[in-house]
Amino acid sequence: MTGADHQGPAATLAALHAALDRVLRDAPRPPTHVVVRSGGESIELTWSAAVAPPPAPEAAPPAPVEAEQPAASDGHLVRAPLVGTFYVAPEPGAPPFVAVGDLVEAGQQVAIIEAMKLMNPIEADRAGRVTAVLLKNGEGVGYDEPLFELDCDGQG
Amino acid sequence: MFDTVLIANRGEIALRVVRTCRDMGITSVVVHSGVDADSAAVRAADRRINIGPADPRRSYLYAPAVIEAARLTGAQAVHPGYGFLSEDPDFATICAENGLVFVGPAADVMARLGDKSTARRMMADAGLPVVPGSREPVGTADEAAEVARRIGYPLIVKAVAGGGGRGMAVVRDAGALLPTFRATRASAQAAFGDNRVYLEQYLHGARHIEIQVLADGHGNVVHLGERDCSVQRRHQKLIEESPAPELPAGLADRLAGHAVAGCRAAGYRGAGTFEFLVRGDEAAFIEVNSRIQVEHPVTEMVTGIDIVREQLRIAAGEPLGFDQDRVRRRGASVECRINAEDPARDFAPCPGTLTAFHAPGGPFVRVDTHAFPGAQARPEYDSLLAKVVTWGQDRDQALARMRRALGELRVEGPGVHTTAGLLADVLDDPDFRAGRHDTTLLDRRAAS
Repeated sequence: MTGADHQGPAATLAALHAALDRVLRDAPRPPTHVVVRSGGESIELTWSAAVAPPPAPEAAPPAPVEAEQPAASDGHLVRAPLVGTFYVAPEPGAPPFVAVGDLVEAGQQVAIIEAMKLMNPIEADRAGRVTAVLLKNGEGVGYDEPLFELDCDGQG
Repeated sequence: MFDTVLIANRGEIALRVVRTCRDMGITSVVVHSGVDADSAAVRAADRRINIGPADPRRSYLYAPAVIEAARLTGAQAVHPGYGFLSEDPDFATICAENGLVFVGPAADVMARLGDKSTARRMMADAGLPVVPGSREPVGTADEAAEVARRIGYPLIVKAVAGGGGRGMAVVRDAGALLPTFRATRASAQAAFGDNRVYLEQYLHGARHIEIQVLADGHGNVVHLGERDCSVQRRHQKLIEESPAPELPAGLADRLAGHAVAGCRAAGYRGAGTFEFLVRGDEAAFIEVNSRIQVEHPVTEMVTGIDIVREQLRIAAGEPLGFDQDRVRRRGASVECRINAEDPARDFAPCPGTLTAFHAPGGPFVRVDTHAFPGAQARPEYDSLLAKVVTWGQDRDQALARMRRALGELRVEGPGVHTTAGLLADVLDDPDFRAGRHDTTLLDRRAAS
C-alpha cells in the first residue's frame, strides 16, 4: 500500500501509522509480516496464504472425542449436529470458511463434518463475529460438541 | 483379539460389556446420547463419544452415527448388547461394509432367524418340535380363519418381525380372530415396518424354558444349560433361574440337544438363546434370540463362563476353548429384574430421578446395574434399573439369598416405583417355591 502526499518525513510517518491502524482494525487476523517505510511512503502487510492454526482459545479446548461439557462461555456456541470429522475448509489447502474475527451470517457455511463419507455442510445458526474455533482441522467431533464461539452482541 | 471394542448400547448391559473388556485388556468405547453423558457405562468406559440426542432413533438406533463413532475411535468391533441394533441384519451388514466386526451371527443368519415365521419353518425342518400353526405368514382374513379352524383356540397372532414378547396378541375365540388379526398387522406395521403375521396355537399354562448356546463358527457348538423364565408380565420376563426347577426327567437335555441341532442347521455363530414353551412333557420351539440376553448372568453363575468374553473371542475368530464335557454346572442361580415400573398400575414405566439407590451385596450376590443416587430413569429408554442375581448350592439357598438381597435393595425417587416388592412377594408364592409355576403366575396373582 502506498499513498500520502509529499509532506515532511514525520508527517508521512504519522500518516503511515494511521493507515496501518485502520487496516489492522479491519483485518480478520494479525498479519505475519509488516513493513513501514517513510522515504517513498510505503506500508506492506503480509498474511500467510497457508491456513494459520486458529489461536488457542482462553478456555481449554475440548478433547476431540472425550469432550466434557464445554466450559462456561459468554459467547454463542455453534455445535456439531452429527458425529464425524471436522474440517475448516472446503478442501485441503483451501482457505478456511471462517476464521477468528470474521463476521458470519445465520445460515452461512462455517465448516464441514464428514460422516459416512458424506461431506455435511455446517452452518452458523446465528449471526455474529467468530471469537474462537474450538477444534483443529481433521479432528473427530461428537454430537452436540461446540465447534465455534460467536460474539452475537448487536448481531441479533 | 481386538484392542478396541465399541459398545453400541446403554444402561446395565453397556457397563457389563465394558467390564469384560477391562478384564481382557481391551479398550472400551461407549457411545451415548446427550442425556446419557454421565451414565455409569460412560463413566466406566475407557473412551466415550456422544452420537446424538435422547431420541434413540437419532442415537442408539442410528447406524451411521454408531459406525462413524467406531471409525473415529479406531474400534475394530461393535458389541450391540441387547435391544437397539443387536438383531438388525442391516446394521451387521453395514458394519462389515465398513470393516468392523459385528459381535453376533452373520447378517444373513440373523435375518433368517429374525423372521420368526422363517425361523419356525427352518427349525421344524431341523427336527425341532414347533407349536402347531401356520407354516407361512398369513396374509388374509380367510387364510387366518382357515388356520384357526385347523389349530383351534386359544391361538396367538405373532408379528413375523416381532420377538422378545413384542408384537403378539392372544385370541380366545373365533369372534375375536378378525379384529385381533387386523390390529396385530397394523401394530406390526407401525412397530417394525413389516405387517406380516403368523398364527400359532397358544399354550396356556406353559413354562418358558430356554437354552443358552455358544457356537464358534469352526464347527464347535456347546450349550450352557437351560433357564426358566416363566415369571412374566405381558410376555416380559421378571424372574429367571437356572437350572429350571421340577422339569420332567430328561427334558432339559432334550431341549439342549434341539438347540445345538438348531444352531448347526442355521449356521449360527456367537452366543444365542433357543426359546421353548413347555407343558408337561411336551415342548415346542418358539424363537431364537441372536444376541446376549438380559438374563445371561444366571447361566454365568452356574457355569463360571463369562458369556460376553466368549462372544468377543468368537467374534475375533478364536475357537471355543472347551467342549461340552468341560461345561460343568454347579448349584442354582436366580435373577430378579428391578424395573422402574409400577406393578399397581399395570407395570406402567415411572421415569424419574433416583434420590437414593443402594444395591445389595454380601455373599453370593451379584448386582448388574447402571443406577446410582442422582441417576435418572429416562422415559426414552427401557425401564430396567438393576438385575439382582444370587447363587446357592441349591434353589432354596439361592432363593433365601435373593430374599436377603431384595431386603437390602433401596430405590427411591419422586414418583419412582419398582418391581422389587412384587418380586419379593413372588419369592414366597407357594407355586413358585414349589417350582410348579408357569407363565400365568403373575396374571393369576394380579387377579386374586
